[in-house]
Amino acid sequence: MKMGVIVMIKISNKVLLSSATKLLLILVVAKALSLALFLYLPSDGVDIVKKRNYQPKYQRVDLKNMIASTNTSTKRDPIEQDISVSITNMILKGLYGTSKKGFVIVALKKSPSKTSIVGVGEDFSGYTLKSIAATNVVFTKLNKDYILELEKIKSDKSYIQRVNKRTSNGAFKKSDSSYSSDEPRVVTRDDIAAYAKNPKQIWREISIVPLQNGKKLGGFKVTKIKKGSKMAQLGLKKGDVIIKANNIKLKSYKDALTLYSNINDIDTMQIVVLRNNIEKELVYEIN
Amino acid sequence: MVKKLFKFLAYLLLFFFAFIYFAPKVALYYVAEKELSKFDIVISDEIAKERGFSLELSDATLYVKSIESAEVKESSLTLLGLYNHLSVEDITLSSTAKAFLPLYIESINATYALYNPLNVTLNAEGEFGELDASFNILERTLHIEMLPSVVMLQKYKNSLRELTKNEDGSYSYDKNF
Repeated sequence: MKMGVIVMIKISNKVLLSSATKLLLILVVAKALSLALFLYLPSDGVDIVKKRNYQPKYQRVDLKNMIASTNTSTKRDPIEQDISVSITNMILKGLYGTSKKGFVIVALKKSPSKTSIVGVGEDFSGYTLKSIAATNVVFTKLNKDYILELEKIKSDKSYIQRVNKRTSNGAFKKSDSSYSSDEPRVVTRDDIAAYAKNPKQIWREISIVPLQNGKKLGGFKVTKIKKGSKMAQLGLKKGDVIIKANNIKLKSYKDALTLYSNINDIDTMQIVVLRNNIEKELVYEIN
Repeated sequence: MVKKLFKFLAYLLLFFFAFIYFAPKVALYYVAEKELSKFDIVISDEIAKERGFSLELSDATLYVKSIESAEVKESSLTLLGLYNHLSVEDITLSSTAKAFLPLYIESINATYALYNPLNVTLNAEGEFGELDASFNILERTLHIEMLPSVVMLQKYKNSLRELTKNEDGSYSYDKNF
């Protein structure tokens, strides 16, 4: 009897051992295969690195006004300069250059039209221009630094009034031809919001197709534009190729969309189009 | 004979599950990422973690043609062969899509299982409302049924015009690929 039990246990142990060995073998093979796969497969995925390069804010400088203002400022008697002027009474109208090189256009709030050009290291109302940044400049006075921010461009009221006068179909009264070539056109934020709400309206008025330059995007070509529409008032013509906007080359959909997504922060928009193989600049003020 | 067959199938199944458990899911995901990038679709900045039979991704940003299209907080992919499930939660679409639909999507669940081998089913929920969709692999047809939210009905009428309105107030959309 005892012998029989021992044989039974031995047999069951043998079956159990054999099954356990098989299971273990399966697990080892599975692990080995996955390890081999792990060595064969890539160890890195795909990531997009956001470019953090600085894109300066587009700002128009009226050179005629600048030159005229310079003459005024040079003629001014130095005694007249108020050296007790506070930095808060100063307006930074424009800047050009890098941190240690370049010049800025400044004026006093009491007489904003009287602008002066000040180079790095030069004085204005007792303050010395120390450095130029992207949207501000640093002045020093008595070993203290003062930051002056760039003035936000405000549009001429006369433009706004002109834009508000619309015809019954919603188009601007001022005809496209009545704008001079370098005169900024005005686009209202209401219009932008209306187009954003109803994007189909854009494509009813204008057709733009991407222009492939081999594998790269060479810009966006205007293939159709509805006469008398708001889009026609933008100064674009059939056949124009939009190649740049606010100094950004439009090389991808991303460039165009980035600009669109930042539209609320933009006061001025400049686009460069290729018209009959000649570059033409169109400037818009966004109110 | 039948006993042996069952035994073999049991071992096979065990091997299959063991292999899925041990498989380098993150590395496999990188392969899928590289394949997707050929179509200009990139999932970036994500944290990928293996969880036994599933792969979890968190804080991913989806780029289509280099354009930031959506941010996804959590997603989980379970591939069991017989039952495969993708769950995506807390999705915020890019603000450029604001003109077309509300930006927040609560969840998207996609399932492909042996009990419905010809269809990939999908359901989603968000500010836009609720949506059920199915893609027939054989006929390559997509069918969407959507129950729009009040926000969608009030503010995104133009987008809803792309769909067909049903008698029960839902909207449907069909497309062949």
